[in-house]
Amino acid sequence: MPLFNLANCLALALLLVLIGGFGVLRRRSLLLVLLSVEVMLNGVNIALIAFNYFRWGQSESGHYLYMLSIGVAAVEAAVGLSMVIVLFRNYRDITRERISMLGETRE
Amino acid sequence: MPPQLIDILFALAAIGLLGLSAAVVLIRNPVRSTLLLILSFLPTALLYILMQAPFVGILQILVYGGAIMMLFTFVIMMINPAPKGGEIPGEDAKIRWKGLVSTLVLLAVAGIIVIPPVYHAAMALPPAAVGKPGFGGIASLAELIFRDPANNPLTVSFELISFLILVGIIAALNFSRRRRSDISGDA
Repeated sequence: MPLFNLANCLALALLLVLIGGFGVLRRRSLLLVLLSVEVMLNGVNIALIAFNYFRWGQSESGHYLYMLSIGVAAVEAAVGLSMVIVLFRNYRDITRERISMLGETRE
Repeated sequence: MPPQLIDILFALAAIGLLGLSAAVVLIRNPVRSTLLLILSFLPTALLYILMQAPFVGILQILVYGGAIMMLFTFVIMMINPAPKGGEIPGEDAKIRWKGLVSTLVLLAVAGIIVIPPVYHAAMALPPAAVGKPGFGGIASLAELIFRDPANNPLTVSFELISFLILVGIIAALNFSRRRRSDISGDA
């Protein structure tokens, strides 16, 4: 039975998205939440390339979508990390519970 | 490449990728977590190369692993969110159970609602006839994106990414700029 087929690749992508989602819910440091989002994004990218390979062999549209996706990922990392730096500068702490008040208290 | 070899490589890459990603999410030390995520891009790149996307595999390592994840590594090294012994403070069992239960609920919702229609739609499409020489290479991809640039929507959207990145740079600079009152206040 061949292992390398579309269903297995999609199952792998789904598992990666779930692992990343678990990390987003479990991690308390904002930096590691962003890192878990990258794991989820990795799963989505695998799904894009798998669909292009198994179901659309005429052109590289999926590869193009992958390039769009990492462009967005770069911007997301830059903006998200600068926000984390600002929060750290203001609160000296980046756990979720401390910064969930959106500036109501500034200790 | 013989089909058995492809299956073996796929299984190795998938197991490695799942194991490394689980370690990224579960491990306590943030620096190790980031480095493991970069390491998990190697089996990802192997998967892309198996799926006839060699240029995408190179991008995954060079751009994603080399540039974007280095940003994460720098920030984690800079603000060092592990004050004592690499432990994230207060990460207790209650939070962990909440995360596990939420993931299982997410899995159930995905299994019931999302997966069957997507799976049937995907299986209804005809299998691709891959095998064109140079598929997934730089030349072929450039041909797809930049052929006939006046009428090609991909060219426009590709150039719009650069605009998005410019906006992201401006936003990041604006966020991390020190205000004048901050400098005179606590310096």
